[in-house]
Amino acid sequence: MSRRLFLSRGAATGGIILVGAGASAGLAGCSSGSSGPGTTTGSNKGGKAGVSTGTPKRGGTAVIGTTADIDGFFPPTNHWDNNGFLYANTIYDPLTAVAADGSIRPYLAESVTPNSTYTAWTLKLRSGITFHDGSPLTSAVVKANFDALKASALTGIALKPITSVTITDPLTVVYNFADPFVSLPASLATQVGYVVGQAMLDAASKSPMTPPHPIGTGPFIYDNWQPNDHFTATRNPRYWRSGFPHLDSITFRPIPDTTQREATLKTGGVDLILSADPVTVNHFTGQSSYQVVDSLSTTIGEPDVDFIILNCASPPTNDLRVRQALAKATDRAQVVKLFGGGLSEPANGLFPKGSKYYSDTGYPAFDPTGAKTLVSAYKQQHGTPTIELVTVPDSRDIKVTQVLQQMWEAVGFTISVKTIEQAELISNVVTGNFQAYTLEQYAVPDPDINYVWWSTTTVAPPGQISLNFSRNSDPQIETALLSGRRSPDPATRIKAYQTVNERLAQDLPYIWLGQTVWSAVGDTRIQNFANPVLPDGSPGQPFDNGIFFPTQIWMAG
Amino acid sequence: MLSYVLKRLAQLVVVAFIISVLVFLLVHLLPGDPTSIILGGNDTAANRQILLHQLGLNTPIYHQYWIWLIHALHGNLGQSYLTRETVGHVIASGFPIDVELIIISQVVAFAVAIPVALITARRPNRPLDNIATTGTFGLLALPPFLIAPILVAIFAVGLHWFPATGYVPFSQNPATNLHDMILPGLALTAGSIAVYYRLLRSDLIMTLQEDFITMARSKGLSDRRIMMRQAFRPSTFSLLAVAGVNIGALLAGTFIVEYLFAMPGLGYSIVQAVQQRDYLIVQGIALVVAIAYVVLQFIIDFLFTVVDPRVTRE
Amino acid sequence: MADERKLHSPGVSSSLGIFPGQTPPLVVATALADPPVDDDILAKRPLGALFWFALVWVAVVASMAIIANWLPLPNPNHQNYTAINASPGIHHILGTDDLGRDLLSRIIFGARVSLVVGFASVAIGMLIGGTLGLISGFKGGRLDVALNAGSFVILAFPAIVAVIAIVAFWGQTLAKITIIIGVGTVPIMFRVVRASSLAFANRDFVIAARTLGATGTRIVFREILPNVMPAAVSFGLITVAGVIVLEGSLAFLGLSVALPTPSWGNLIAEGTANGNLSINPYILMWPALAMFLLLLSINLIGDRLRQRFDVREGLL
Repeated sequence: MSRRLFLSRGAATGGIILVGAGASAGLAGCSSGSSGPGTTTGSNKGGKAGVSTGTPKRGGTAVIGTTADIDGFFPPTNHWDNNGFLYANTIYDPLTAVAADGSIRPYLAESVTPNSTYTAWTLKLRSGITFHDGSPLTSAVVKANFDALKASALTGIALKPITSVTITDPLTVVYNFADPFVSLPASLATQVGYVVGQAMLDAASKSPMTPPHPIGTGPFIYDNWQPNDHFTATRNPRYWRSGFPHLDSITFRPIPDTTQREATLKTGGVDLILSADPVTVNHFTGQSSYQVVDSLSTTIGEPDVDFIILNCASPPTNDLRVRQALAKATDRAQVVKLFGGGLSEPANGLFPKGSKYYSDTGYPAFDPTGAKTLVSAYKQQHGTPTIELVTVPDSRDIKVTQVLQQMWEAVGFTISVKTIEQAELISNVVTGNFQAYTLEQYAVPDPDINYVWWSTTTVAPPGQISLNFSRNSDPQIETALLSGRRSPDPATRIKAYQTVNERLAQDLPYIWLGQTVWSAVGDTRIQNFANPVLPDGSPGQPFDNGIFFPTQIWMAG
Repeated sequence: MLSYVLKRLAQLVVVAFIISVLVFLLVHLLPGDPTSIILGGNDTAANRQILLHQLGLNTPIYHQYWIWLIHALHGNLGQSYLTRETVGHVIASGFPIDVELIIISQVVAFAVAIPVALITARRPNRPLDNIATTGTFGLLALPPFLIAPILVAIFAVGLHWFPATGYVPFSQNPATNLHDMILPGLALTAGSIAVYYRLLRSDLIMTLQEDFITMARSKGLSDRRIMMRQAFRPSTFSLLAVAGVNIGALLAGTFIVEYLFAMPGLGYSIVQAVQQRDYLIVQGIALVVAIAYVVLQFIIDFLFTVVDPRVTRE
Repeated sequence: MADERKLHSPGVSSSLGIFPGQTPPLVVATALADPPVDDDILAKRPLGALFWFALVWVAVVASMAIIANWLPLPNPNHQNYTAINASPGIHHILGTDDLGRDLLSRIIFGARVSLVVGFASVAIGMLIGGTLGLISGFKGGRLDVALNAGSFVILAFPAIVAVIAIVAFWGQTLAKITIIIGVGTVPIMFRVVRASSLAFANRDFVIAARTLGATGTRIVFREILPNVMPAAVSFGLITVAGVIVLEGSLAFLGLSVALPTPSWGNLIAEGTANGNLSINPYILMWPALAMFLLLLSINLIGDRLRQRFDVREGLL
C-alpha cells in the first residue's frame, strides 16, 4: 500500500519534487528517453506487451487506474506529476516529444531550429491545427502561453534563460537567449511545452481564482473531472492527426492504494493500472491475462532515482567525512534487493547503465570498515554523529529508512527515524531545516532541465530558501552545468554531465539507492498502450515514468 | 417544544462557532503552509509573498478568520487553494458518501447485534453466549484497514460479487451505488457490532431480572414475547447513547476506508486537506461535521423519547 | 434490591445534550419488593478453568512485556536479510517479517506499546473523565453545563485533525501518543459516567444518605461511585480494545510511535502493507491473535469477578 500519494494529492502538488516523479522547476519529467519497454510479458501472440500490430478497432472506452489525482489542468499554475502528464497527453499536445531513440521530435511544432550560436531558436508550427473551441493554433497563442508560463511563480524559473519570444509570422515564433541554450527542444517536451487555447488563458487571467475550462488541441476533449474520483474525456472528432484517436472516450480513476489498484484491475474495474512500486511487476509478470510494461530499460536522459538527500550546510552532515561514512555504510545492493522487486539495480549516480551519460562515477563502494574509521575520526572531534532520517508516511519509504538506520548504526552513527507530512517536508527541505530526507527525483528528457537543483547560484544558507536543497556549492559542477547548457557538441555535453555526476559522487550531497521502477499493467482488452507514433512517423518513447500517450490506444473485443 | 428547538439551535450555533475557531487556529499553526505545496521546490521568498497575498494569507490570523466568517455567513465557504474546487462542492460530493457508509455500517451492526443479543441474553454464559462473546472480541481485534483488503480479496477478486474500488453517486444510479457501497460499509461495521452487542446483552440481562419481567412471566407470557415486547425497549438506552458517540466518531472518521476504496468522502478529503494545508477545505468540512454531530444528538434525544415516553423534552 | 440492579445501565438518558435540564428521570424506577434472582447469574459458581486460563494468559502477556529486555529473545528491531519472511520454525518460533525481524520478539516488545497505550490512555480517560463525570452528574448546575458543553465540543471536533496537528507539534513518543489518545477518551468516559451518576443522584439511597447528613464527597465516593463502577469498567474494557486498534490506525497514517519500535497495531498495519497479506500472513496473524486472546481474557476475568463478588450488593 503506497501512502505516498495519499499524502500528497499526487506528487502533483509539490510532492513531486520530493517523492513524486521529479518535476524540475515545472519542467517535469515528461520523458526520459527510453529505448523501449523493459521487461515485457503479455498475451499478445509473439508480441511485446502494450504493443499491438493488428488493425486498430474504432470505439470503446478505456478506464485507467492512476496513482493519484492532480491539482488542475493549467500548465502555468498546476504542478504535474506523471498523472498530470497523462491528463495533459489526453487533452493537449506538446510542442515536442521524445522519440524511442531518445531524440527530440516535433509534435505541434513542425520544426525547431537553432541559429548558429544557439542563442535563438525558431519554432515553426504545423498549419491547420485547431483547438477544441474551433480557434486556430497560431504563433500568437504559443507566445501567449509562454507569457503566462513566464509570469508564473511555478514555471517562471524554468524559463528564466529565455529573454524574449517574438512572433515572425502567424506560424513562427523565435525564442531568444542571452547565452547559448542547446536543450530548448527537450524543455518543450515538458510542462511548459503543452499549449492551451487562448480562451483558457483569457479565462485564467480574468478570474485567477477559478480553474479555467481546459481547451487544448489534443486527441480527447475535456468532459468532466471529479477530483479524487475520476476524469473523463471524449474523442475529438476533428483531431488534426487523421485516424486518431481510436477510443470514443477515456476515463482516469485515481486509486491511491497499490494493493487496491491491483485488485481493481483483477476485478475488471479498470483496463490498465500504473504503479511506482516494483511489487506490481512481480505480481502480474508471467500471467497470460495481463500485459506488463516497466520503465527500467530507460537508457537515455534521466529516470527517477531513489536517494537520500543530505544537508551540506548543517552539522553533522556538513562534514564530508560523515557523508562519506554514510555512503560507505550503505549497502545499495541489499537495499535494491529488498525494495526493487529484483528488477532495479543499485545506482551510482544520476544515470543508469545504458544511458549515454553513464560512467563509473567513483561513488564509494560498500565498505563498513572504512565507514567505521571515518566515524571514529569524526567522533574524536565532535562526539557521536547523530542524524535524524526523515520520510513521508509511506509504508515502503518507512521500511527503506529502517533498513538504512540499521546499516548506518552498524558503523557507529546514532540514527532516529521520523515521518512527517509532505507540506512540512517541503518547507523544511527548501529552508534547509533537515539532516537527511528520502527523495525520488530527476526524471527529465535532458539533464540541463535539472540545472537549478545543482547550481551554485541557487544555494542559500539554512533558514533561507534554497532550490539547491542539499546546499552543495561546487564550482566545478557549475562550470560543467554551464558547459552542458551551452555546448551543442554531444561529446562535450556527455563529458559535462559525467563530470557533474562524478562531482556529486565526490561531494556526496546524495546517497544513491536505486532507480525507481514504474510499471503499467493492462488487461487483454486494452491494446497498444506502449506503442506511440509521433506525427513525423517515428516511434515515440513507449512508456516513461508512469506516462504514456492515449492517442494510439484501442480496445479489442 | 418550541423552546427546546430554540435551545438546540442556539447550541448548534455555539458549537459550530467554537469548533470553527479551534480548527482555524489549529491548522494555521501547523508547520508549513499551502504555498510550499503549491510551489513545490520553486519556493522563492518573492514567489511565496505573491502567493500568500493572492490567497489572502498575508494578513493577521484573526483578520483571516473574520473574512472567512463573513463569507461563511453568506453561504460562501471558499475554495481549495490547490484545485480551486469550491468547498461547497467538496462537501456536496463527499457528505453523501459518509452518510451512506455510516448508514450501511450501522444498519448492519444493529441487524447483527440486536438479534444475537436477544438470543444470547436469555441464557447468559451458555455455549451460544460464549460463542457470540468470543466472536465479538474477534471483531474488536480486526481494524478496518485489515478487514477491507480481506473483504476485497474474497468478495471482489475471488467471487467477483462486488467492485474492488470506486463508486457511482446515488443520484446517478441508486442500484450501482448501493452495490459499490457494501464492501466499504462492511469494513466499517465490525467494531460497532461488537460494542453494540456487548452493551445490549448486558442491559438485557439486567432488565430480565426486573420485577415487571417476573410479573410478565408469571402471567404465562412466552419468553419470546417477553423479550420483544417487554425487555427490549427499556434495554436500549445505553445502546442509543453509545451509538450517538460512535456515529459521531464515524463522521469524517472513515478516512482509511475511503482511502482504500478510492472514494472522495469527507474523511478522506479532510485528512488530505490537513496534510496539504488546504485550510478552507479543512474548515468547511469541520463545520459540516460539527453541525451533523449536533443534529445527530438531536435525533438520538428524540429516539429516547420514543423508547420511553416518560423521557420528556422538558 | 431490584432497583440496584438496573443502576448498572450506563446511558440511561438523553444527557448527551449540553443542557442538563434535558435529562430524563431514571428510566426504570421500580422499587418493588422481592427481586427475582436468576440463579445463572448470581450463583456463586466456581471461577472455572477458563477463568484461570484467561488469568494466566493476561499474566504471561503482561509479565513478558515487562521483562522483555531480559528474555532470551533476538533484538526485535534486528533485520536479518538472510531470513526474510521465514515461516515459523526452530530459529524463529513465530517466523520473521519482510525485513527478517523475529516476529515473536516484535510481538512481545510490541505488547509493551499496545498495553501501555491501551490501558494507560483509558486509565487517563477514566480518571479525568470519570471523576469529572461523577461530580458533574451529582452536583449539576453551572459546573455540569460547562463540563457538558466542553465535552460536546471535543466530541464534535474532527478527531483526526486534532491528532495530526498535535503529533506534528509535539512528537511521537509512547508517552505522548498515550496522553493524546487518553485525552481523546476523556469526553467519552465523562459522558458515560456522568449519565450513570446523574441517574443515581436522585435514587432513594442517595437521598437517604443526604438526609442523614452525609457530605457531598462522601456520597459521591461511597454511594455513587461503587454503583457506577461496573458499567464504567465494562465500557472501559471495550475502549481498551478500541484504543489498541486505533493505535494501529494511527500507525497506518504514520502518526503513532516512531519506528522501528513495534506495537501490535503497527505490526498489523505492516502485515497489510506492501502485499504482505498474500506473501506473509503471519505478520498480521500473530498480533491479531494475541490481541484477540488478550481482549477475550480480560473480558472473561471481568465477567467472572463481577458475578462472584457482585459489587452492588449490600450497598444500602
